[in-house]
Amino acid sequence: MALQKIADRVIDTDVLVVGGGIGGCPTAAKATEHGLNVTLLEKSRLERSGKAGQGLDEVGIFPREGLTALEAIKIYTGSGSAAARPGARAYVNPNALYRIFTRAMWALEELERLGVNMRYTDGEYGWMPWGTGAGGRVGPRVELRVHWQNVKPEMAAGVKKKGVKVVERTTVVDLLTNKGKVVGATAINTRTGEFIVIKAKAVVLATGDLERHYNSPTPLSWKYKMGLNTCPASSSGDGHAVAYRAGADLTCMEMMRPGTIRDILLLQPGQFYLNDGISAKVFTATGEETVLPPGPLDYLELERKGLLPLYQTLEHLPDDFQKRLEIHFADEAMIRLKLTADRGFNPRTHRYQVTGDRATRFNNTGIVIDEDFMSSVPGLYGIGECTDTYGIGAGGTATAGFIVGDSIHQYVSKAGEPVPDEAQVESQKQAAMAPLTVKDGVEPMELECSVRQICEDYGGTYKSEGRLREGLRRLGSLRREFLPRLMAANPHYVGRCLEARNIMDLAELHLLASLGRKETRGLYVMLDHLQKDPSLDNKRICQRLEKGKAVLEVRDIPEIKPEYIKENR
Amino acid sequence: MGNVPVKIDYRKCNGCQRCYDLCPMDIFVMDESLKMPRAAYQEECGLCGICWMECPKRAIDIIYPPSMW
Repeated sequence: MALQKIADRVIDTDVLVVGGGIGGCPTAAKATEHGLNVTLLEKSRLERSGKAGQGLDEVGIFPREGLTALEAIKIYTGSGSAAARPGARAYVNPNALYRIFTRAMWALEELERLGVNMRYTDGEYGWMPWGTGAGGRVGPRVELRVHWQNVKPEMAAGVKKKGVKVVERTTVVDLLTNKGKVVGATAINTRTGEFIVIKAKAVVLATGDLERHYNSPTPLSWKYKMGLNTCPASSSGDGHAVAYRAGADLTCMEMMRPGTIRDILLLQPGQFYLNDGISAKVFTATGEETVLPPGPLDYLELERKGLLPLYQTLEHLPDDFQKRLEIHFADEAMIRLKLTADRGFNPRTHRYQVTGDRATRFNNTGIVIDEDFMSSVPGLYGIGECTDTYGIGAGGTATAGFIVGDSIHQYVSKAGEPVPDEAQVESQKQAAMAPLTVKDGVEPMELECSVRQICEDYGGTYKSEGRLREGLRRLGSLRREFLPRLMAANPHYVGRCLEARNIMDLAELHLLASLGRKETRGLYVMLDHLQKDPSLDNKRICQRLEKGKAVLEVRDIPEIKPEYIKENR
Repeated sequence: MGNVPVKIDYRKCNGCQRCYDLCPMDIFVMDESLKMPRAAYQEECGLCGICWMECPKRAIDIIYPPSMW
């Protein structure tokens, strides 16, 4: 058969899961329980890959006591205020969210069955208090405190025990489609250079989010400025990019949430103090106590007055609280404690620098999915941060994974045999392998850094039409000049080239999508359109690739389905 | 090597390959002749600290080069 001639290896499977993180592992493990043949593609190593590779300290998406799932969703997506404040959550598909909220407790038990330690101290669950908080924040959901430093080794063991075929150190190249349906994917082992074709009846993308089209918060990691202390491998937007190129709908690619970044080595107290009803103190650069400004325009105002940067401090908190915070740091990313100490920063007494106006790490949304987590391309599913349920955290992602794993057999049983198009496989192989033959070309990381710089200079928090157009022009010429000259001395760099191509595609889409939202709304700022565009109230902008061109389309944010309202759990 | 983030202390390293196996960015290679890991793609390191955390001999140190101070 010709496929065997093109590929070094052909894998035939029922379900292909791309990405073995906190979403992919549950999906793969659960799907095997329905007698399915499951292949899990992981670009790193299952034991320590993804955002949870270093560990996690909190998990879960359980409706707060006394709230039904519907009420929790209403607060979560900020229904009433959604029009005013576009954040990730305002654009989340509420139906997918309903399924996640109503099955969170089930997912908790499933995680335990998979071998993940969910208990906090003395064999008890560590339910977080959700007080009203001095920060004035009432959450719709409850989370569990967890000691998840070893969550990935635990999950990896569970997945392997279930008989999932795990293919590691292998990066996805592109999806294979036939007659509008997904029939698998191609991939490259970035250690051996092996080109792999995976024929699959259904594909689940669980690849994490997109961050690498912007510079990371300072301080940047060494020469190539990778995101510090996160997992750079899982933030190149591979899932977004392959879905986009396969014709799937994406949404809200124009959105960047300016995060509240604390400069000091990403030691982030996070929600901890709010959960306990204790607030961090905030100071201006001149030492006056203040509160965190709500939006980017407020930061502009502070800058004009010379009051930036802002600083946050937890020095007023009692000793037992400080100790708990240290446990939380050790659970989530122990290296931070070491690096902070090296740099002479004492979290008990020093102040954290806050940079709240930079478009940084958080891309809000991605692949549009329905309540069954299927994208607009039949057979292609998405869960977690690469989808439009972004913002549901590790708990929501794991829950989504279990739900998909538990129901995907229904699609698989009637999907029919996957028949990849050989010409498509051939062209994907050529595109992926081309950098191996280029001499005196461009290093992938160098190209990636250039893409980031364009997004920084011409996109970012404070956008304008003129800048966006210039950014697109620059990206276009960068693509023409340098994409064909991407060079890979070995398979390792082929992986980085694939990432660079994905980041470039998505950066272009990001700037283009921004031109589709000519307004200022909440955290989204267009300096030459400082008013809201009422025609975008309760709408979101969707993007897809049609005949090689990006098409933008304004659509309604999905409504909660009537049967869910009737069920009202 | 000069100012790079990942430093391996070869007096402590026992060549167990754990860093090579687990690094999410795959920055290590195994030196065939020495049977020891080498941080060959340092510039891609995101300082996640997984090699540092997992090294059974505490042979890996992660430091900030001055460019990141």
